[in-house]
Amino acid sequence: MIVPLEHVLVLSTVLFTLGLICVLARRNLIMILIGVEVMLNAVGLSFVGASAFWQNLDGQMMVIFLMAMTSAEVSISLAMVVYLQRRKNSVDVRSFNEMRG
Amino acid sequence: MSLLELQALLPQLLMVLGGTAILIVGAWVRSRRSWLLLGMFLALVAALLAGTLEPPVAEVAGMFSTSLYARFCTIAWSLVIAATLLLSCRYAELHRYGGGEYTSLLLFAGTGMSLMSAATSFLGLFLSLEAFTLVLYILIAFNRVDNLGAEAGLKYLVFGAVATGFIAFGIALIYSATGTLHISEALSGLPLDDGLRPLGLAGWALLLVAIGFKISLVPFHFWTPDVYQGAPAPIGGVMATAAKGAVLTAFLPLLSSLGGAAVEIKQVLWLLAIVTMLVGTFSALTQRNLKRMLAYSSVTHMGYLLIVLLIGGADGAQSMLFYLVVYSFATFGAFGVVTSWAEQNEEIQDYDDLCGLGYLHPRRSSALALFLLSLAGIPPLAGFFGKFGIFHAALQHGYLDLAVIGVLASLISLYYYLRPIIVLFMQEKKAHRLRSGSGEEFVLLGACCAAILFLGVYPGPLLDLLRQILF
Repeated sequence: MIVPLEHVLVLSTVLFTLGLICVLARRNLIMILIGVEVMLNAVGLSFVGASAFWQNLDGQMMVIFLMAMTSAEVSISLAMVVYLQRRKNSVDVRSFNEMRG
Repeated sequence: MSLLELQALLPQLLMVLGGTAILIVGAWVRSRRSWLLLGMFLALVAALLAGTLEPPVAEVAGMFSTSLYARFCTIAWSLVIAATLLLSCRYAELHRYGGGEYTSLLLFAGTGMSLMSAATSFLGLFLSLEAFTLVLYILIAFNRVDNLGAEAGLKYLVFGAVATGFIAFGIALIYSATGTLHISEALSGLPLDDGLRPLGLAGWALLLVAIGFKISLVPFHFWTPDVYQGAPAPIGGVMATAAKGAVLTAFLPLLSSLGGAAVEIKQVLWLLAIVTMLVGTFSALTQRNLKRMLAYSSVTHMGYLLIVLLIGGADGAQSMLFYLVVYSFATFGAFGVVTSWAEQNEEIQDYDDLCGLGYLHPRRSSALALFLLSLAGIPPLAGFFGKFGIFHAALQHGYLDLAVIGVLASLISLYYYLRPIIVLFMQEKKAHRLRSGSGEEFVLLGACCAAILFLGVYPGPLLDLLRQILF
């Protein structure tokens, strides 16, 4: 393996953190979903790196499943975006604050 | 995957294939009641198969175990799904749900939960967890004319997606540290005193955060009251019982076998248990909405369950499963009463709307009172035995501090469990008469009451059964 495992892990941790910051800071639902996407792809990267480090295929198998799962999640989330847009004419998460207490 | 392995997964296959068939045929045959009843029948058959069929292999594809423990969980979650489908019959009619979609989604959720409890590999764990989380995103927002439902769905989606990221990254770090996705191998790879150990521990910490989100431990519990309030009542029942139970049962054998490597994790769990019990109890005190109160009550009960998760071993596992069963009956019953009081456009949740309802609907009100008293742990009911088991085990294993805080929390909890009962029976009549409930709802509520009374008076058989199935 040419790239050491530490480098891959550092890169994926940085990407994961950036995605998390995007989720926490943004108020637009679509941007939040993009942040989640960045987080999950960072995870995929570290799986591939670890898989190459340990010389077994489990990690790569996991990445394939992760991608399939992500696409399922995205399709449900986007359906949710359309539905929320229809209900309140907004995808700003701040406009959904009717429940308190 | 061989034929024998498929045979071992027969209950889950039945639910998932049956759910798919209902989804497809449901596009043409627009019927509600018959699809719900068919789904209930499938879930019951799945439970029966899991109970009677001896699985030919011990582990399927290195991902799912077929132990007695896994089969017990499969039976439990299939029964919860069957009960939810039966409970939803009138509710779905009232809110004009698509019967085929609703039924098949609940069956998918049941499959995910039962596979989650059986998972022996992180791959299986992750996929089955997502299988029922994705389904719950849809089910929470299933009522298309309800703004609160939309908001609840949004909140669960955002929190759930972040939790998915955490759980996946946790697994990735554990895999980087140990080089295997099989849970028991990953655990035995952890204690090695090499440079990768911190990486594995970081992975476990992330995993713990994600579990905290899923079973709503403080400080990751913020979504719980909102989602329970906005979600349809039958779905709230599933989320509070089976969805949390599946996560807990998946991690119970895992933490039990962690052994010496778990010192760091156990310290964190100890802290989480204390914070969860206290914050859950004190937040519930101020609630004036039945579903929100039940949400905070479920947070508190997850704190109690953390105590036994911490103890581990056969004692801890036995009292945890017993408590989980008892808690599920009572919580599901309470959500069942809310379901059966549902009107066309609203559910009766606020205490103001409950005023004097005990005189108009005495049977359902007394059932609700019974469930709340069991959750509070009043002696003749099953909840008392569950709590007694937990605190007894905590004392035996030297967790005096946790036991004291737990007992204090359940004393304070009497206040918020008695409050709706007082509102129901003691205050002047303000409520108007609601629709009379359907036969199915009364059968289910009666069964939950009977189970709580029976397990309170005669808990022996269930305890023996649990002792047998544990690892």
